[in-house]
Formats: sequence, structure tokens, C-alpha cells
Amino acid sequence: MEQPERKWTMIVDIDKCTGCAACVVACHAENNVPIVTEQEVVRGRGQHWIRIERYWSGEYPHVKAHFLPILCQHCENAPCEPVCPAYATVHSPRENLNLQIYNRCIGTRYCGNNCPYKVRFFNYFDPNFVEPQDQQLNPDVTVRSAGVMEKCTFCVQRIRRAEEKALAEGHPLREDEVVPACVQTCPTGALVFGDLYNPESQVAKLLEPNNRKFRLLEHLGTLPSVYYLKGGTSRVSE
Amino acid sequence: MAREFTRRDFLKLGAMGAATAVMAGCQPPRPWITLEPYVRPPEQQLAGVATWFASTCRQCPAGCGILVRIMNGRALKIEGNPDHPLNQGKLCARGQAGLQVLYNPDRLTGPVQQSQRGSRTYEPLAWEAGINTLYEKLAAAGGRVAVWTNSTVSGHLFDLFQRFSAAVGGPSPLVYDLYTGFNGYRLLADVSQELFGRAALPTYSLSHADVILSFGADFLGTGLSAVRYGREFGGFRSQPLGKRGYLVQLEPRMSISAAVADHWVPLRPGTEGLVAGALVQIIAEEELASADRAALAQSLIGGLDVGSIAAASDVPAEELLHLAHAFASASQAVALPGAALTGTDAGAEALAAVQALNLIAGTAGEASGLTLSPPSPSEAVLSPEPAAFSDMQALIEQMRAGQVQVLLVHGANPAYDLPEQVGFLDAVANVPFVASFAPIVDETALWADLILPDRTYLEGWGYALVSPSFDQPAVSGQQPVVTPVFDSRSTADILLTVARGIPAAAQALPWPHEVAFLQETVEQLGPGAAGGSGIDVLWTRFQQEGGWWPASPPEPEAPSLASAPTIQLQSPSFRGGEEEYPYHLYLYPSGLLSDGRGASQPWLQGSPDPMTTVSWQTWVELHPETAEELGVHDGDIVQVTSPEGELEAPVCVYPAIRPDTVAIPLGQGHTDYGRYARDRGRNPMQLVGAQADATGSSLAWSTLRVKIRPTGEKVALALFENKVGVTEGFLNAEFPH
Repeated sequence: MEQPERKWTMIVDIDKCTGCAACVVACHAENNVPIVTEQEVVRGRGQHWIRIERYWSGEYPHVKAHFLPILCQHCENAPCEPVCPAYATVHSPRENLNLQIYNRCIGTRYCGNNCPYKVRFFNYFDPNFVEPQDQQLNPDVTVRSAGVMEKCTFCVQRIRRAEEKALAEGHPLREDEVVPACVQTCPTGALVFGDLYNPESQVAKLLEPNNRKFRLLEHLGTLPSVYYLKGGTSRVSE
Repeated sequence: MAREFTRRDFLKLGAMGAATAVMAGCQPPRPWITLEPYVRPPEQQLAGVATWFASTCRQCPAGCGILVRIMNGRALKIEGNPDHPLNQGKLCARGQAGLQVLYNPDRLTGPVQQSQRGSRTYEPLAWEAGINTLYEKLAAAGGRVAVWTNSTVSGHLFDLFQRFSAAVGGPSPLVYDLYTGFNGYRLLADVSQELFGRAALPTYSLSHADVILSFGADFLGTGLSAVRYGREFGGFRSQPLGKRGYLVQLEPRMSISAAVADHWVPLRPGTEGLVAGALVQIIAEEELASADRAALAQSLIGGLDVGSIAAASDVPAEELLHLAHAFASASQAVALPGAALTGTDAGAEALAAVQALNLIAGTAGEASGLTLSPPSPSEAVLSPEPAAFSDMQALIEQMRAGQVQVLLVHGANPAYDLPEQVGFLDAVANVPFVASFAPIVDETALWADLILPDRTYLEGWGYALVSPSFDQPAVSGQQPVVTPVFDSRSTADILLTVARGIPAAAQALPWPHEVAFLQETVEQLGPGAAGGSGIDVLWTRFQQEGGWWPASPPEPEAPSLASAPTIQLQSPSFRGGEEEYPYHLYLYPSGLLSDGRGASQPWLQGSPDPMTTVSWQTWVELHPETAEELGVHDGDIVQVTSPEGELEAPVCVYPAIRPDTVAIPLGQGHTDYGRYARDRGRNPMQLVGAQADATGSSLAWSTLRVKIRPTGEKVALALFENKVGVTEGFLNAEFPH
């Protein structure tokens, strides 16, 4: 197997995430993700490529809330990949991304079934972008029709644009040239993105060493490309 | 329903060549359209490459700088402007959703009139006719013209409104909306005037703080500057040597700010100020902190009884002692006042107590701590100052008394924002002519005779004095990033046109169009960080950079006490007796819909609320014990009644709220404002009534009690999360079917 030249990695710092949902809306805008109706939400068909999960712990008055932004983990050992009969869900050997190829997808939804993180969404309906909302659609991203699975791509369209631009300008891709929509907008800086294979990158520096880091459902052996940094609690002594 | 395209049509098309095409079907009769290649393409256009324009977000009064991605004349994405001193490249959910304000399908497609107010029968008319009508009414009204606008109006339009009103002898334009009203902007400025000698919004630098005590301030949600405070918080949690600060949030219902706090203190509603006072008292009594800071505390506080405050607030005395110690022993401590604190009946005193804490902290004006938003850098640059509640009531009184002949409404929606008891609609009935400039028909435009839709902010010119600004004055620039999507016209241009025909106003508003006026303003600002000289360069840089800010940030002004008040605090008096109304009512602006203005944008409606994960709905948050007592579960509709009004909404069981309190988010309950907003949820402002705080500055919304009655009806709660098997004791959740 060829050695990938890049490993796109995201870091989510739980200590800084405030659950503000700026990332959620930014992703909808960037990736033409439809908003489903109230009735569809009731049916359990909410569709957000990045979502903020909110966990409760403790009993009142010592109850605590914890925010966990979850997006496609771009697993190196992705459970969604081997089960697609149409090779719509494949791994990019060059850069370690989990790719979704919309025009191959035949909608068996097995990938979504297999994903332990539940980050894959099925388009039950054709998109309904009411004029003039269609003017806002990002031309760099396919608008998915009914019957097709979708999920976070680490804004692969931005990665491609940046790579092509760097190639045309004749220099290697720089760290600051690629930023997914969610990372760009996050007000607290909880989201960080970069190439883990580049030792000078922010993600490489943040992760090695770091005793706060963990990955979701690590015991499943999916080898996610998203690292989380544990939150903490400050205490003040008397 | 196009008629069939036959072979005959095809041959005709072939004969005419590629330059033209026949249009058939159900469009207005037009024999041809012209397809032209770009012989003269617009400057800077490259196929497949976007152009970015700098402008200002107007989804809340803060004034963050934005960059908008444009391709083929379409606005595709909004990002924060990295060079803008306020938000430094970041943007919140509401800012991201701005594209749906621009591309809203329910926007007016041109000027309309209503022969009968409230009929929802809008007759289109030509711009000339509409502007003429406006002109005639204004010319006849003389000085009996009132302008009602909101806190996100462009500074230049506010300036023009003000000049017009002054010229014709009318009252100054009123700036009143729910966002600033609810968050107590007027009261914050008034108390700054009283304590520090300057009416300015307080700002708090957090990124180097050790200890933050937030008295109900949802500074990360819909407070005064969510994006900037988000950045500050990011810095707060990642200080050198692993320092992550200590944040305490004191509020009856956990907001996202409380969720990320290290300690949540669920105090009784309305007692935020009392607790702040108790801490000052403890610092004074126990002589905590340095000698001069303890002495300052002693001079400010008038002998409060900590024990009775502990009882009133439901915060144990040991806890108050602990908080006072933590605050006093920190070298960088900050206290934040929240909307609920300014919304009590004695908001001014409560706010004074919090500011006293900031002075005692000894950090005022430093790298962390309290500063005042800097004044405008130029006389030419104005900022719409939110009006006091009493001023707003005075205008309504004038309207009711028939003293206002023409009411102009721009950007504000008082028919939705204000509790019915304030009497806006009754008063409007006595105003002979009402003109609205709303781009989309809202609850107030519904009662207008004439609507001349303004451009939405992405299509418009203007500026916004960043408000509050943190370390330096900044004037954020606004420019059209696309050609107007619908047939709208700039209200500023309309005003200038109309003024030409009114002798008194013509002299005061001599500019041919708004851009000429804006250029003059920018010229008077002079060179800032972007440098340059001469109007052409200054104007170009203003647009390119997204505004003006000084070349080097000035030294922050350390607020010092102009007058030393003795802070007197009393237990809040609640409306509604405890027996009949057993629960406290706690309202909060939705993090997505804010005060209701976000309801027209599906990205905001459809994104899950951060704490409950509900979308598209209004809900009533009840503690699990309270829900059990009432025998209700998620989705059961309850009737919530205050002494002032009632509403019905489904329950959402919420673990992080006082059992004696119910919380309801603002934002829904629209009857107009487009398909995404209309006919969903409820507007809880109808529970509030028309009482102001003791100074008359602020609507007193946080000292209400309510009763709850299950109705027996039920609706499916649109939760994104699945609670089945997750939340303890929750056995009757229904699977969607």
C-alpha cells in the first residue's frame, strides 16, 4: 500500500468548546447541507455533518453539561468502507481522507449502519432550496439528490483548491492555506486542523506530547483522524 | 406549465442563432432574452475564482467584520474578517446565517401599500408613486414625524434620520429593540455614567483573568459581543503554563456559559445583584484583598446582612464566603453583569454592585478587567444609542395622543418585541400614516400603510461604530457585496430624495445620495491603520479593509469612580404572589434565534439548540422533579400563566434548572416574517407586561412568577438527540412513527 503523503487531522479541544453551534451553521453554508423540516427531526432524521452532543452528568445542583462536537472521524480503519457494494465509500490513499463519491452511491445505507459515530446521513428527499436560496449554493460542492449518503469531508473542496493553487504557484502547500469551514469560524479556537505528518504543523505540535488527548471509541480500532483534548475543571482552595 | 417546445420552435431557434432564445411558457410575455458573453467582464472577475468583499455583520448590534465570498455575483459564504479588531476572523452561528437574510424567498419584491392595515393584502405600486406618497405625508406632517429604528441600523442612516428630525422639528429617532432592551444596554450605559462619568457600555477582558464571576451573563451566547467573548474565553482557557482560569456562573438556569463554567451556582432568580453586594460586604468586613481594595469595598457598601442574602438567594453563606475569598485573592479577577440582573426591578443597584466588585478587583483598565467602550473617534461617526424604556413609552404616549402624524419604522419590530401591555398597536391606530422600510413583512410592517423595502445588510452601504468595542475604537464598514436580489431601495437614498422637497430638510440633507454622505464621513475620520490620504484612497481603504481603526490602539482608559455611591440593595419584589404563582419565570434569548430576528433563517431554525437540542419550536424547561410533580413529560403541552399573560408550549425536561423556576427561550411566536418564522412556537414576551425598573431605563422582565397547568395535549418535541434509555426515569418516551 502506498504511503500517504499527508494525514489530515482535526483536534477538538473540549476545554474550549462552548456549544455555540457556529461550526454547525458554517458547515451547512459551505457544503450545501439541507435543513430538514420539524417533522423530519421528529422522525430522527436531523442532518448535520457536524453536531454538538451535549451530555449531562451529576445530580442537581451539582449537575454538569459537557459539549462534544462530532463529525466524520475519517478513520484509517473505517467500518463504513468495506461494506459499500458500489465503492462509493473509499479511503483516499494519498491523504488519509474518507471519501464519499456521490454518483456511485446507490443508497443501501450500510455505511451509515456500520458507522459507530453515526456521522453519516442519508438524503431521504431531493433538495428543496427555494429560490433564491439556490443562489447561495457553493459551486465547489455537489448538491446531493435523494438516495445518496453524505457526511463531513474535512471540506475536501477547500483542500483541493488549496492544493491546485499551490501547484500553480509552484510551492508546497502551506499549513495556513487549508482550513475547513468549521475550524475557520470557531470563535474560541476549539477546532484546529492540519497535516499530522508535518512536524511543524499546529496539530503535530499540539498532540505530541499531550496527556489530554483521546479519540472516540478508541477500543473499536477505527483509528480516527480526529483527536479530542479532554476538558478540565478548575478548583479554588480556601 | 410551459407549453410544449415543438419542432417548429426548434427551427425558429436555429434560424435566430445562438445569440437569442425564445421564451415560452408561463413567464410574462417577452419575445426574447439576450445571451451575451462577457465582452467587458467586471473588473477582477476570473472564472471559477471568487472575489471577497469586506463588510459588517448586522445580525446583532456588536458589529463584527465579515468577508463575503462572491462568485458570479452570488454571495456563497460569510467568514469573519481576520483583520477586524473585534472578531479577528471569527464569526458566530447568526453571522454565518446572514446569507439567508439576503436570499430569503419571502422578501418583498418591490414597494407595496396596504389600504387596510393588518389585512395582509399588499398592493404593489411603483417606486415613484411610493416615494411621492411618503414625501407628501412627510411634507404635510411638519414636525410631527417620529422615527422608530433599531440597534443595528447603520450609523449613517441614523445620522440622516436625526438630521431630518431635527430639521423639521420632530423628536429624535427612537432606537429600541428587544435585543438591546432585554440585555439592558441603556441601563448599562446609564450606570456607567453615574459611576464613571461617561455613558458607555462596559467591556470585560477575560483572556488573562484568573477568576471570573458571571452574574447571569450569557457572554458566550447572546450577550453583548458573543464572538469577541468567545475569543476571550478561548484565551482564558489556554493561558501560559497550563493556567485555565476559574469561571463561576451564577444563574437559575444553566446557559452554555454556565455549561463551560467550573462552578454553577443556581441562585434564586432576581438575586444576582444581592449576591454581588454580599461579596462586596464580605470583602469589606473580612478585610480580604489588599488594604486599599478592602477600604474601597468598605466605602461602597452600606452594611448588608450576608445571612439574609444567603437565605434570599438560596446560596449558602459558606459558598458566598468561598466566592468572596476566591475573587479577592485573585490577582486578575472580573465580575460580569448579565441580562437577568439588568432586568430586575432594581437593576441599577444590582449593576452598581457588580461594577463595585470590578473596581475592588483592582484590574479596571488593565489587561484583564473592566474597561469602558471607547467613544466614537470622530464627531462624524454616530452610533444609535438604545433608548430607555421610559423614552419608548413616551413616544407611544405621543402616538396614542395623536401627536404623531407620520411614523417611520426601520429595522425594528415593536409589534413583536414588546409585550401587548405596552400598547404599541393601540397607539399606532392613532397615527394617520405609518411607513415601514422592512425588507420582509414582519409583525410591525403588517400595520403599515406603505412599505418601501430597504436593502438587506449584504446589499447595503453604511458603517457601524463597533459597540461595545474592547481595546480601541473601530468603525466597521458596510458595502454591497451583490447587486440587490429584489427590487429594493436604500432608505437613506429615499430620505435624501424626499428631503429635497421639504425646505427645512433640504438644507440639512444636501447630499445627492448616501455614498456621497458616507465618503464625507470617511474623509472626516482621516487615515487609520490602513493609512493613506485624500478621499479616494481613504474611501477605497475603508471598503477594502472593512472599516477604520486607529494605527496604534490607544491606552485603555481605566474607569475610576466619578461618584462613590453607597450600594443599597433589597430583595427583589416579584410580580405574582407565591401561592397563586409558585414558579419563577426565566426568559432567555435563543442562542440561534436571538431575540426573534433569526426566526426567518432556516439554518438557525433547523440547527439544534445547544442545551436542549430542540429545533423549530418553543419549549418550557422544567426540572425533572417539577415535571414529576406536575405529571408531565417531554412534549406534554402546559399552559404557563403570569399576572400579565399566558402561553402554551411543550415541556422539555431540563436537569440544570432550579426546581422552582421555569425557563422559556425567546424567538418564536411570529405571525409574519416569512414561511420559516410564521405560525410556530410562542413569543414569551407576552408573559412579561409593561413594567420598567426603578430608573425607567430597562424593561423589568426577570422578576415575574408564573403558574403551570398541564393541558393534557401533547406534541412531539423536535429533539435532535434521542433521550430514550438515556435520561433516568424516562419511561414513556414514544418512538417516532
